[in-house]
Amino acid sequence: MMILISQCDMKQTRKMILLANFLAIAIVLNLIESAIALSPVPGAKLGFANVITLIILYVYSFKDSTALTLLRVILVGLLSGRLLGPTFYMSLSGAAAAIIAMGILKKTNFFGILGVSVVGSIFHVFGQIGAGIFVIGSTAIIYWMPLMLLLSIPAGVITGLIGKRFVSVWDTWHNKIEN
Amino acid sequence: MIEGKKDSTNKRDILLITILLLVVGGLFLYFQLFQSTGEANYAHVYYGSSNDPIVTIDFVKNEIVQYSQQDVPNQYGSFPIIDEGKRTITLLGDYEINGVRQIVVIQYDFGLKTVQIIEEESPNNICSREGASTGKPLICLPNRVRVEFETNDDSDFTV
Repeated sequence: MMILISQCDMKQTRKMILLANFLAIAIVLNLIESAIALSPVPGAKLGFANVITLIILYVYSFKDSTALTLLRVILVGLLSGRLLGPTFYMSLSGAAAAIIAMGILKKTNFFGILGVSVVGSIFHVFGQIGAGIFVIGSTAIIYWMPLMLLLSIPAGVITGLIGKRFVSVWDTWHNKIEN
Repeated sequence: MIEGKKDSTNKRDILLITILLLVVGGLFLYFQLFQSTGEANYAHVYYGSSNDPIVTIDFVKNEIVQYSQQDVPNQYGSFPIIDEGKRTITLLGDYEINGVRQIVVIQYDFGLKTVQIIEEESPNNICSREGASTGKPLICLPNRVRVEFETNDDSDFTV
């Protein structure tokens, strides 16, 4: 009995520590991306930190992934001093749109991790542009949408490939530890 | 069995990506061709989420029309500052350095019909790196200042 309980605790603790590590990685990825400004569009990002959202979605659950993504956006807002600023709302909306789209698409089991990642990336753009329209009170930002969408597809493929590789390595590693 | 399923999702993924690339690529090309026509007659300068321009640069009559004052706290003075000699319009942006809001300097050229953001403070300087624009909207997001162009000839009848 004692052993059973401690094993259960062990699993929970391990999961918690791993999630904390994932969160730290996601925050660093997000900060790097906002510092190097790969995107030509004001306030918009390609969403390379989404790779962590994607991985958590596959190795844990939609709930964990959502919590982690929201925490990441809020913490990056705090760290960069942009909390509740115009770009914060764009990030939040983009991240939320991406996680919802990826969660639903994963449920259908019709596409693999690569397809889910690309669709998530596209919805990340929709979410950001949608919030951008409200933030600047003008539809002028739509001008950049085709370019952002075009860039988001390769970005989604890259995150998808990384995610795919990660999940296959994770499966062997995690099974070895848990059993 | 599992291998077979994996193969088919892989194929579907690649098909999905190809279709998306074609659709988005088409949209992109369409926009590129569609928006490269004509030069602007007006450039409107906005601040915040307002849809009423503060200043309009009229490329038809070659004049600057100011509609209103920018709503800023008293200690900053009054904005916009229009300098017809240097051909600049200066607005107060939202971006703060050490708690002090920074200015955004917009330069216009009646001859070339261009507008350019020549000075602003923001993390990535996206809007000033954009250079001179003849029709592409200039959006300084952290500063919440934007310049939009209008090509419509009839607009002065409707205003």
